[in-house]
Amino acid sequence: MTSAQQRRVRDLFEAALDREDPNVVAWIGEQTADDPVVRAELLSLVDHHSRAGVFLERPIVEQASELLGDEDPLAPGDQVGPYLVVRELGRGGMGRVYLASDPRLGRTVALKALAPNLTRDPLQRERLRREARAAAALTHPGICTVYALEEIDGQLYIASEFVDGGTLADEIRSQRRPSREQLSATARELAAALASAHGKGIVHRDLKPENVMRTRDGRLKILDFGLAQLNAAVPDGPGLTQAGMLIGTPAYMAPEQINGQPADQRSDVFALGVLFYEYACGAHPFASGTTLATVARVLEGQASPIAGRADVSHGVAAVITRCLKKSPADRFGSAAEIVAALDAASADPGVSGQHALWWRGHQVAIVAIYAGGVVLAWQIKEWIETPLTVGIFLALGGLATVAGILRGHLVFTSAVNPSRLPIERRRTSRPLLLLDGITAILLVADALLVARARALPALLALALGVGITLASVVLEPATTEAAFGGER
Amino acid sequence: MNANEQPVGDADALAPVVYDELRRLAAAYMRRERPGQTLQATALVHEAYLRLAGAGTPWNDERHFVGIAARSMRQILVERARARGAQKRWAGLDRVSMTDALAVASAPVNQLPALDDALNRLEQIDPEQARIVELRYFAGLSIEDAAAALDISPATLKRRFALARAWLFREMSAG
Repeated sequence: MTSAQQRRVRDLFEAALDREDPNVVAWIGEQTADDPVVRAELLSLVDHHSRAGVFLERPIVEQASELLGDEDPLAPGDQVGPYLVVRELGRGGMGRVYLASDPRLGRTVALKALAPNLTRDPLQRERLRREARAAAALTHPGICTVYALEEIDGQLYIASEFVDGGTLADEIRSQRRPSREQLSATARELAAALASAHGKGIVHRDLKPENVMRTRDGRLKILDFGLAQLNAAVPDGPGLTQAGMLIGTPAYMAPEQINGQPADQRSDVFALGVLFYEYACGAHPFASGTTLATVARVLEGQASPIAGRADVSHGVAAVITRCLKKSPADRFGSAAEIVAALDAASADPGVSGQHALWWRGHQVAIVAIYAGGVVLAWQIKEWIETPLTVGIFLALGGLATVAGILRGHLVFTSAVNPSRLPIERRRTSRPLLLLDGITAILLVADALLVARARALPALLALALGVGITLASVVLEPATTEAAFGGER
Repeated sequence: MNANEQPVGDADALAPVVYDELRRLAAAYMRRERPGQTLQATALVHEAYLRLAGAGTPWNDERHFVGIAARSMRQILVERARARGAQKRWAGLDRVSMTDALAVASAPVNQLPALDDALNRLEQIDPEQARIVELRYFAGLSIEDAAAALDISPATLKRRFALARAWLFREMSAG
């Protein structure tokens, strides 16, 4: 449309408004008979005018005053009360976090500016004060220490220990999985830290990998005790923080939290279980596509067994499984009980190691049976040289070589890189079963071929065939179960 | 800025000052404010004017100031609505609250970014209409005050605002 047409649309629209003519469409038709473009635009605008309702009628500030109260970011060098801002560390749902220095004590702090829209409600503010006071009483090396809750210019800040390092979430996202020892140590360290809070009657309510940091020298720290309720505040005004709100992060919430029942220490135990699980294998125990589907599975479904997905000892797997029970009563009563269970599990480290030895012995024995079968097939071929016996010998030789290499690879992995073993075993278990099956069939066929000529070697071949079948179908699952706990 | 064809050179250069002052005042207001109370944007603009005029800033008169203040209000509010939207999208990945999801969809705040885009398009066609929307919707001026600020009659302003409203409504409903 040209600007002349635009102007004509404007003038005719305004004239149409003034006429207050019920038959405005006909009037527009008369006025714009010469220009269909102007007519179409005008009709469309008049139509939208009649349907616009209260659109733009009330100034936005009256409807969204709280938008003006949103925090303004602080810049490096800004002075906030006694603190001097060094730089922004990050931002989240609760507000921005800054690295700041406190010249009074010459120390560095993490300064969390709580988004004003979250703390405007006086009740919420009071609750926050109470919880911050409780959190400040926690002094454990595994918990990020809260120094102060400051109110500066009406804005709430939480000053806490500055933890320099990465979060557990980063570690989970990385491709590296922890060894058994790392997993046990991490689990125990976190459970012990949480236990010290539980001992003082403080529940975290929002444990998740983002809230756990590992310092540069390798120690773990749990962040944000007492802040979980802030997540519940809806930034769109008061009155929405009442009952029925979910507090926490869905993927880490225990079933009772999702159902809106109050969270207690056992809800933290559940979250810790999810966290251990994710740390161990990089996947969520109830993962199913979307957050909502995951939440549904937390409520109704079973966790995927951890044993098949990670290098985890029997004992630790059992601890994680118990943390993830649906009913709080079936879980550990508090984090201290997890510490005790983990200690009990690691006090008996020989068991699983010895069983692993049995499993390795089993692998070596099967390779020996392969070799015996190949030698026997060679001998049978010497006695009765037909294309069939030659073929069977060659096939057995090939199969035994491949199967032997695969099993050798497993034994090697279990000795050198145990954390890879579950993956390698998953990859090789089907091919091995197939190879064993064909080997057994070929040995039985050889036995039948040689039976008329020589009975004893036939019996031996038959025995080897049956032996391989039994070893593969019966023995191997048993030694595997003993060594790795419950997986195939 | 020259839509109303008034010499606003100095005032234009001082737009950042207005913007900062309004932001500061708004934050101070909101900290004192009780939940549920509403804030009048006009009061805010007026106070900012008094403060800046008192500080010796060379405003020709309050009318010029109001145009700049309205534009600043638009910037402030849209920026914050955008920041909040970004934060929600980010947070939405791992954080839900039942009432949140329901309340958010249709709130005017969440339409601000789209409205801002539509307003930019309207400005290409008719800058005056965009100014009118800023004065009425973002600065909360009455028809009379907005008309005075643009030096047009209240009746014209009213009709022109209706046109801008219909145009924007169509833009926004087209998605």
